[in-house]
Amino acid sequence: MRISKAGLLVVLALLAPLLVELRTVLSWINVELTVLETAVVGAILVVAVLVWAFLPENGNGKTAEGDASSEN
Amino acid sequence: MSNAYIDDFPAEAKVVRTAFYSSFLALALGGVFGVIQTLHRTGYYRFIDSADYYTVLTAHGVFLVISFTIFFLVGVFTWAITTSLDRGVEDLRFTWGWYGLMAIGITLSGVAILAGFTDATDISASVLFTFYAPLQAHPMFYLGLVLFVVGTWLAGVDWFRSWWAWKAENPDERIPLPTFMVLTTMLMWYIATLGVAAAILVFLLPWSLGLVESVNPLLTRTLFWFFGHPVVYFWLMPAYMMWYIMLPKVSGGKLFSDPLARVVFVLFLILSVPTGIHHQYLDPGIAEGFKFIAMTNTMFLLLPSLLTAFTVVASMEHGARQRGGEGYFGWLKALPWRDPVFTGMALAGLMFAAAGFSGMINAGMNINYLVHNTFWVVGHFHLTVGTAVALTFMAVTYWFLPQITGKALWSRSVALGQVVLWFVGMTFMSNAMHRAGLLGVPRRTAEPQYDGFEFEAAVGTMGELQAQIALGGILLTLSLVLFFANVVGTALNGRSDDLPANEYAGTLSGPEDAPLVLDNLKLWTAIAVVLVVFAYTFPLLSIIDRGGLFGPDINPFPVSLETVHLLAFALESHVTGALESVAWLGVNR
Repeated sequence: MRISKAGLLVVLALLAPLLVELRTVLSWINVELTVLETAVVGAILVVAVLVWAFLPENGNGKTAEGDASSEN
Repeated sequence: MSNAYIDDFPAEAKVVRTAFYSSFLALALGGVFGVIQTLHRTGYYRFIDSADYYTVLTAHGVFLVISFTIFFLVGVFTWAITTSLDRGVEDLRFTWGWYGLMAIGITLSGVAILAGFTDATDISASVLFTFYAPLQAHPMFYLGLVLFVVGTWLAGVDWFRSWWAWKAENPDERIPLPTFMVLTTMLMWYIATLGVAAAILVFLLPWSLGLVESVNPLLTRTLFWFFGHPVVYFWLMPAYMMWYIMLPKVSGGKLFSDPLARVVFVLFLILSVPTGIHHQYLDPGIAEGFKFIAMTNTMFLLLPSLLTAFTVVASMEHGARQRGGEGYFGWLKALPWRDPVFTGMALAGLMFAAAGFSGMINAGMNINYLVHNTFWVVGHFHLTVGTAVALTFMAVTYWFLPQITGKALWSRSVALGQVVLWFVGMTFMSNAMHRAGLLGVPRRTAEPQYDGFEFEAAVGTMGELQAQIALGGILLTLSLVLFFANVVGTALNGRSDDLPANEYAGTLSGPEDAPLVLDNLKLWTAIAVVLVVFAYTFPLLSIIDRGGLFGPDINPFPVSLETVHLLAFALESHVTGALESVAWLGVNR
């Protein structure tokens, strides 16, 4: 994993403000998404983040050091 | 045997614990009323009468922003004073005395509010948190608030006594940073509460008791906001304290700069109070010039907030690099995201940055007209007190609970889920509130939509905004359930001997780098008073000059059918005469 599980949870949480604001921002350039389309974009982003997170770093499958030392 | 707070200060730990539990009780009550009003207002689930909405709103506001925040504050400040001075309180009976006064006070106010739900008694106080005239509450509500505020004043005296005693024994020492933060915050609070004390004791309580017939509504509003804006900083300062002295420690490092932290608290002391009129930009009766002065003072308050953002992020980066973090942004991965204390405070700080941007819009005189009294403002303060403060308090609770109970935290995983869920829930709710406010959706109403009129959303629909608010409210409620599960679970745990020591962050640049003048509390208090005099003397005199100390003379308008006939006759004669004059002028031109 490229990132710790807790780090991944926070990254996924940060997608929430990104998604709700993205809809407004896109409307400025006349791209108006429905709720369903926004949800689909969100799902794609979540999958992209998960794929990135679970891909082994440098191909050796090593867990990210990240906050591993804070698991006390 | 551990070195937890309860081991060093068992008696004080009991005070802090009691204050925290009082705070959590208020949080539970306020949270319940929060979800009730969210579901009612959005129309998803209605089981109360819309007329009772204001009682629900008052309970939500008072229990959360008076009881929850301030009980937590007195707990944190008692911990900060005793820990940083390394001495117990001077007189434990006095300490319990001010706690008791606060508890009695908020109970009286709370009962007055909740009595509004029943017709069995004529007691009610559905006056909202902003309890100025013309809304009038039962005297018990005001009396309770007076006792509560006096309790906080005595708490401040308690902490000053500790500092004076410590200073006598350590005459050449700098004030320890946590104590410095407590003292400056309390000095600000003493100045700020003079406004609300005058509003209640001189006007609202006598008016409610029937001792005076009327009040000057603009005067009581202005006195309320004299207190109503700095109280925001009273909620925020303990959160700031946690960001300065706990966040660097849990990040694995040290506070970047003790002197900058002192500068920030001094700036809050001198700038918090002379800003209240920015809540009254749309009030007639206050000259634009006074409002402009308030706006200027408010914009200066951005300075300590930006200093805090810099210092806290620098401290976090230092901690991350101590933990092996590298690169421009790579250090972010090295932060202890598994720790709910850290993650909760970091997410709260992030939300506070967003709140700063919407706050600048509130503070700007011209653009404020766009959002004044709309749902935007509700979205704003749910980011400030509802997240920056509340989420920080809940996050540090996970550090404090073991310290004050001597018991290990029930579940760190649940705690982590709780703080993240709060962040997501508040994202949905506050975003929709801000956007609804831009459409002109009003605040403080159970029925935001009117017959024959529909708000038009710029993006999406009003229905989607309502759904987003309801979704956010439900997620926040679930987050609260997880929080209380952890509090109760921890309380039911057995005593642990393996607890972290009671410590706060060291500093990279310590007090020895801070100019001595920063510790001159008399000087900063004097400057704060002078600024308040400048900002408020002329507006208050002007308000009293125009509207009287107890309101203008009341001449009831005679309402009867005979009067209407007389008025109609007079109006008809007047209009006929005027028309005849115009016709005569036209003929003779």
